[in-house]
Amino acid sequence: MAYDKLLTRNLGKPNSATLDAYQASGGYQGLRRVFKEFTPEKFVEEVKASGLRGRGGAGFPAGVKWGFLPKGLEVPRYLCVNADESEPGTFKDRLLIEQDPHLVLEGIIASAWAIGCHTAFFYIRGEFHKGARIFQKAIEEAYAKGLLGRNILGSGFDLDLIVYRGAGAYICGEETALLESLEGKRGLPRIKPPFPAVVGLYGCPTIINNVETLANVTLIAERGAAWFAAIGRPKNTGPKLFCVSGHVARPGVYEAPLGIPMKELIEMAGGMMRPDRPLKAVVPGGSSMKILPAAKCDVLMDFDSLAAAGTSLGSAGMFVMDSGTCMVDALWNVCRFYAHESCGQCTPCREGTGWFVKILKRLERGDGVPDDVELLDNVASRVEGNTICPFGEAVAWPVQSYVKEFRDEFQEHVTRRGCPLAAAAAR
Amino acid sequence: MPDPTPPLPPAGPDEVALLIDDRPVVVRKGTTVLRAAEAAGLLIPHYCYHPGLSIAGNCRMCLIEIDKVPKLQIGCATAATQGMVVRTATPRVKTAREGIMEFLLINHPLDCPICDQAGECRLQQYEAAYGAGTSRFTDEKVHWPKRYDIGRSVVFDAERCIKCTRCIRFCDEISKSRELALFQRGDHAIIGTFPGKPLDNPYSGNTVDVCPVGALTWKPFRFKARVWFLRDVPSACAGCARGCNVNLGTYRNRVHRMTPRANLEVNRYWMCDAGRQSYAALTEQPRFERPLARPATDASEPIPWDEAVERAAALLREAVAAGADGVAAIVSARLSLEDLHVTQRALQAIGIGRVAVAPHEEGQDDHLLLRRDKTPNARGAALVGLGAPNAGRVKEILEDVSSGRVRGLLVVGEDPIGDGLIPASDLRRLPALVAIDWWKSPTVEAAGVALPACGYGEWEGTLVNFEGRAQRCRAALKPQGETEPVWRILAALARPFGFGAEYASASAVFDEAAAGIPALAGMSYRSLGTGGAKLKGA
Amino acid sequence: MSLPVSTETDRQIDGLLGRFPQRGSALLPALHLIQAEKGHIPLEAMDYIAGKIGVSPAFVAGVVSFYTMFQQTPIGRHHIQVCCTLPCALRGAGSVMGYLERKLGIRRGGTTPDGKFTLSAVECLGACDTAPMFQINEEEYGQLDERRIDAILASLK
Repeated sequence: MAYDKLLTRNLGKPNSATLDAYQASGGYQGLRRVFKEFTPEKFVEEVKASGLRGRGGAGFPAGVKWGFLPKGLEVPRYLCVNADESEPGTFKDRLLIEQDPHLVLEGIIASAWAIGCHTAFFYIRGEFHKGARIFQKAIEEAYAKGLLGRNILGSGFDLDLIVYRGAGAYICGEETALLESLEGKRGLPRIKPPFPAVVGLYGCPTIINNVETLANVTLIAERGAAWFAAIGRPKNTGPKLFCVSGHVARPGVYEAPLGIPMKELIEMAGGMMRPDRPLKAVVPGGSSMKILPAAKCDVLMDFDSLAAAGTSLGSAGMFVMDSGTCMVDALWNVCRFYAHESCGQCTPCREGTGWFVKILKRLERGDGVPDDVELLDNVASRVEGNTICPFGEAVAWPVQSYVKEFRDEFQEHVTRRGCPLAAAAAR
Repeated sequence: MPDPTPPLPPAGPDEVALLIDDRPVVVRKGTTVLRAAEAAGLLIPHYCYHPGLSIAGNCRMCLIEIDKVPKLQIGCATAATQGMVVRTATPRVKTAREGIMEFLLINHPLDCPICDQAGECRLQQYEAAYGAGTSRFTDEKVHWPKRYDIGRSVVFDAERCIKCTRCIRFCDEISKSRELALFQRGDHAIIGTFPGKPLDNPYSGNTVDVCPVGALTWKPFRFKARVWFLRDVPSACAGCARGCNVNLGTYRNRVHRMTPRANLEVNRYWMCDAGRQSYAALTEQPRFERPLARPATDASEPIPWDEAVERAAALLREAVAAGADGVAAIVSARLSLEDLHVTQRALQAIGIGRVAVAPHEEGQDDHLLLRRDKTPNARGAALVGLGAPNAGRVKEILEDVSSGRVRGLLVVGEDPIGDGLIPASDLRRLPALVAIDWWKSPTVEAAGVALPACGYGEWEGTLVNFEGRAQRCRAALKPQGETEPVWRILAALARPFGFGAEYASASAVFDEAAAGIPALAGMSYRSLGTGGAKLKGA
Repeated sequence: MSLPVSTETDRQIDGLLGRFPQRGSALLPALHLIQAEKGHIPLEAMDYIAGKIGVSPAFVAGVVSFYTMFQQTPIGRHHIQVCCTLPCALRGAGSVMGYLERKLGIRRGGTTPDGKFTLSAVECLGACDTAPMFQINEEEYGQLDERRIDAILASLK
């Protein structure tokens, strides 16, 4: 089926990041329509009706999340845009920020209006220097044209938007760690409840939405919930940016409706990088999600289909591994990441992540013992579910799934005292 | 099939009723599950939770199961709700706890044999109660500096630290000195200070108390005694007018440490460093263990009690006989209520009408516990009729000593020479100087007769703090040598003057005082218990 | 006592203090400004910013140590940050790092004696489509191979 690109429609056009180019292709018409045809409450309902699920990783319905804001409180409400894209294998938000910032900005304004927020923050990971510069420029253009600031487009709505740069911490992509960071602290996730919608930034009701989620709000503003809901599959609606990386010929961001077959995405990315090396496994949703061995890769790429397959769409950071990949080495790498990025606050994550690294290093180097494979799995089960934030699952799931799906390969590292692939490569 | 679940008790409008391990509990709304369990007599093990600090929720030891909630929840941060069914010892909970114990110990040095915390260490206690007893960790541990002076009196062993952040929260929330922070992250997270700004606040010792493991230790106590040998004697600190509730950690007739004992109405969970170290004076300052008498020219010499009391009484009788204006007393507000009560009665019997209670003030009242008034019993002195501490009256008496107008002086628990209020030579000239004190102060050395009293930790008695709370100090030590409590000394001294009362104990003195003092009406020594009681009208 | 930062940075930091609903939020942007000027965040600057914001120096140092981008000691003029996380590792990040270590004669984490380059292994920079890649200061370079690395390094002063 032919699919007209929506989220990436402006990419590749000259000066796509500028307000002029954006408006020339119909930009900010959606916002005008929303101001004219909706009340904030009705627009919240519209977003609910669209079925838009958060694109940050958890897939929670955006409109429902907005609905959690307490009513009638005389305190400020904040919208924080989560542009802390840090999940390994994920690089879609960066693309939007750098190449079509106004698509995101329009969604931010519409969303802030819908939830009654007058100060919004754009929390962008510190390493995205270029993205921060571009987005800052987009904001300045917007202020100059009355799209931000007082009385936006004559609607009577005021909104200030502040770019806030992180400084190198994966955990700040977690909602409450992001809020802590925005308050100028160490990015330590908070205990929930209370949830940010009730007690968030500066203790006020706060909504945190991912960049791509807000870009989708722009689409809903332009063309309505019914149109949006018709894209994709039931309960998995709308267009989606898929990040394909690893052993494919053309790594990149590919737009498709939710529910596209995984294999089709791999084809879009040019197929396998080396013809002599077939597919071994795919991690479909960023490194935190469970790995699928090649035999289980005939799945649709949406929230519910991947959940049914025992994994998750996550951030749609899909990395592809070919037959030359050692799963012990790969998991060692993944666990190094989590050990490095654990905030260190709560016991299971702080201690467990480091322990995984030590075990995996031994296995890969040939110093493993037979109990190690079971130990990995068991330690993961003691991390999972017992931590302050979802980071516990983010490290437990890869450990559990790599071991489960490739147990023989792990055992072989013990019996053959090291990595068979590395040994083969050395011959 | 009958429903095995016990019925919920009725709850008031501000209350909720719940079941914890099948025990019905009713608690105020907003109470956490951990506190509710406590109320039901159940311990939910925990490290980072401390009743005096904000909730951190980081140790994860208090994970519990709640019916209809898929994930385990932490008891310290989960509010009890109406009808909640909590289980604290299911297989899932036990496995999770066992996991937490294993995690906490993988990078722990397991150096219990040389750790001061051993015996009162939560890691030891909980490993025994909830751990697997073995570890599957065979790799190299994370290494950190050990025996590091993180502050003037606190030593830090980073390898023993479990990052519960109690110490950080204490410094942020209670002492408000904010010296500590968490540095780095992951399993390299470590507690630390800013270079050049060590842990140094008047309350730093509390970080050691709140540390559930051996990471922070109190320098003066390091390697002094194994805690299982210590007997904790509940008492009140005599370092200032607050009267923080304390335990005197005693072993072989010696106090080895003083730690705060929780009393929400006095000191909550805390005490100051000065108070914490106040017990040390008992061994650091010179004692005299037998009565001393000073012949006309020589230094003081020990004499038997009977003779000493006789000579002291004779000196005072002579002075009183020369005119009631010519004799005075200076009394300490550091004495117990019992001491002060008998002193008051004895002075009347002897015929000493001119009395001053000496004030001791230093610094300012602070935001937490420290009081400018360093006497622990000024209220008590006023209560028994000796009057409030009054610097002017002390000064007048001493001026009259210097001018020769006062010829006889009884000094009880004070040291005007050492305090620089009068030259030693002026007091030495006095025909009748009788001093009672627990240590060999310059005033004791100048006295015609000096009578040795018990020191803090040796005497029993009551102190009334600045808020009017009567609190008992308990004797933790046997009195040294021939020392006696002040009330017994004063009673003996007044007996030749016709003073007839006899007391078997401090308790008897208190009960007599209570009978005559309206503010103490209805109180008995026993009724004060370990938490004390407020005076009527206070 | 003289300011540990330039008067211009000081002025910019003062501007930040009133920018957020709560003053504490100024900390991260202020630290970015300090690092932009100094190349790292000296202790005196932590003490200074703690005073400005009204937090303890220990708190500031704790924050600085939490975020990997904040340098606590001086580093080379060009900070080569090689992404070594799995998507890059699958496409040869290990070889890139190995080549750089040999070429620069330093190990990861080290700085060349002339102070020109510091070489770091970093975690995912969100540019897996260009793997293997590195970031030098604020610029990103992808699709790295030895020839391209040679050309990039040669272009740096």
